[in-house]
Amino acid sequence: MIARLALASLTRRRGRTALTIAGVAVATAMLLDMVMLGSGMRESFRGFIEQQGFQLRLTPRGTMPFDSEATVGGAQALVARIAEDPEVVAVAPVLGAKLFTPRADSVVPAFLLGIDPAVQGDYVLAEGRDIAAPDEMVVNGAWLEATGVRLGDTIRVASGYDAQLRRFSGEGSVRVVGRGRFMMLAGGEKVAALPIATVQGMGGEDLRDRLSVVLVATRAGADVETVGRRIEASDARVSALSTEAALRFVDERLSYFRQLAFILASVSLITGFLLVTTLVTVSVNERIGEIAVMRAIGVARERIVVQVMLEGLVLSVIGAVLGLGLGIVTAKWLNEILSAFPGLPAAFDFFLFEPSAAVRSLGLIISCGIGAGLWPAWRATTLSIAQTLREEAVA
Amino acid sequence: MRAWIRRWCALTGAVILTAPVLHVQGQGLRTIAIDERLGMAAGLAVGDSVRFAAMASAPSGQWVRIGAITRRSADPSEIARSEYRVRLHLDQLQSLTGVGDRIGRFAVRTQENAGAPGSASGTVAGPDSVSAAINAMAFGFRAYPAAEVAIETSATFRVVNRFHRAIGIITIVASAIFLLCITLLKVDERRREVGALRLLGLSRATVVRSVMLEASLIALLGSALGAGFGAAASAIVNWYYQGVYATPLRFALVTPEIVAIAVTLSLLLGIVSGYLAAQRLVRTAPLELVGR
Repeated sequence: MIARLALASLTRRRGRTALTIAGVAVATAMLLDMVMLGSGMRESFRGFIEQQGFQLRLTPRGTMPFDSEATVGGAQALVARIAEDPEVVAVAPVLGAKLFTPRADSVVPAFLLGIDPAVQGDYVLAEGRDIAAPDEMVVNGAWLEATGVRLGDTIRVASGYDAQLRRFSGEGSVRVVGRGRFMMLAGGEKVAALPIATVQGMGGEDLRDRLSVVLVATRAGADVETVGRRIEASDARVSALSTEAALRFVDERLSYFRQLAFILASVSLITGFLLVTTLVTVSVNERIGEIAVMRAIGVARERIVVQVMLEGLVLSVIGAVLGLGLGIVTAKWLNEILSAFPGLPAAFDFFLFEPSAAVRSLGLIISCGIGAGLWPAWRATTLSIAQTLREEAVA
Repeated sequence: MRAWIRRWCALTGAVILTAPVLHVQGQGLRTIAIDERLGMAAGLAVGDSVRFAAMASAPSGQWVRIGAITRRSADPSEIARSEYRVRLHLDQLQSLTGVGDRIGRFAVRTQENAGAPGSASGTVAGPDSVSAAINAMAFGFRAYPAAEVAIETSATFRVVNRFHRAIGIITIVASAIFLLCITLLKVDERRREVGALRLLGLSRATVVRSVMLEASLIALLGSALGAGFGAAASAIVNWYYQGVYATPLRFALVTPEIVAIAVTLSLLLGIVSGYLAAQRLVRTAPLELVGR
């Protein structure tokens, strides 16, 4: 009976009930989006890093991976030394360089990764096959599109220019055998991967036996931070960056979005709360005489409280459920806008849908709906029955 | 090419300061300029001497004197970069990094107003044609006009701007619903009063005008409060992020144009919601409004 009364009260003024539900839906959508934004970037980046299967990244001391052109010499000895650590199960050296591909009337510049095909963690093969020989190359879609080269083609490439002699340096023939999805590189960036020994050879003396980054996989259960500190202590030329440290770095770089998400989520919650409170309060004020009659004929205070709070709850639940759908649509739209952020991996998501985020948003809005009914419910139960009935009769 | 009047060369590279100030050396040391943030983090001041090297693992380094402390300019492309900047003479950096007679980039200044139609130097090539001429003969490098570089480096903020606009649209939708809802509630509260006035002879048009006026006043008052709140929030945002990123860049601006747009939009929403709410009221018979 209480539920029927609450529903009857809400359907009495359908227009404003619909508007309130729409307002709660927009507030929920914004809240869900902001909860997704707050945690999505971090989890999206974690997904990338963990997909690589390496827990540590070693870089030239004081630099971040590929933040500068700094390299470390004695690559082979360094890799062998790290591999001796009992906690280390795989070591993948990577060398960053430039790749120039002369075409009929232009030169296509690209980022070149020198990798060990047996243990690389930089790309996932999408088409063709992986590198099996020193002169075989895997590239991304942007490179294929820019050069017009097809899988299976053999082409001339270079690693640099000799401006004084006006000719390319580090030239060689390579065969494009596969198309890969390079996880950590920006969407439009053209990139290619060759065996590290080939890249070192193309770079001449400048790149001989050098590397830019070493990816290290530790055995399950190993303390990654301890392994990193041990490697740093054994070689003063490198810094060790764990997955957690990399995530902290990303958090710091993108802190603006987290703070914005927090502010807008708070505003959404307050808006939803105010909307439901206003509607339920006005609804109670309109029915003050009806409530007084109910009290006069013996309806318990608790039942009145439940009825009023049920109204707020129903508005919140319907608005929140509609808002979840709306939030997913707007998150997709906002994600498309932010995906144009320069330098971010193409598949990086600012808004990552997680069931826990939806549950949190629903929980917050529904709690607000329950909270919003408290004041009008208290007002309804504390009114003076006789005085209210007299005033209503006079009115 | 004859229009080039000045050239600068710059070599980009990573330099690592390996020791803070231990003692002040003689006046014969070469000078460097350091980032203000580095000065604060390492406790360095003008006149201090430091030893620096290109790599942290280098066994020895060079002693230099800090000749200047620089502050980051209000450049959007710089704010997300957390690394410190050290500026030193080109030849010293070339020697320190061992790259020889190489540079990372160089900048070219053309004559003022060069290439502008009707200018005194109208026959002199402008930045676009100068860069095109360089690219035609260049091998191994590429020239970009400053405007192109500016567009490229501000890409981050263009994306953020679009994102803010999208959030703004969602906020306007939410505000419109909120305002319409509140106006409807206010009007519903006064059904009996309006019914009585209608029975006394008040015209429908007067009721509509009065409700619209009331909604407009609420919208105006709300937008005035919102403008004040926005100005305060903008000051807090600028104070906070200028501190976080150590930059004089202004992150939030409340300009008269923005206030005018916000007030106009709010007023429009108020008028429309007032009209819709009033229409609901005047369509109902006066006797029904008074509950008969």
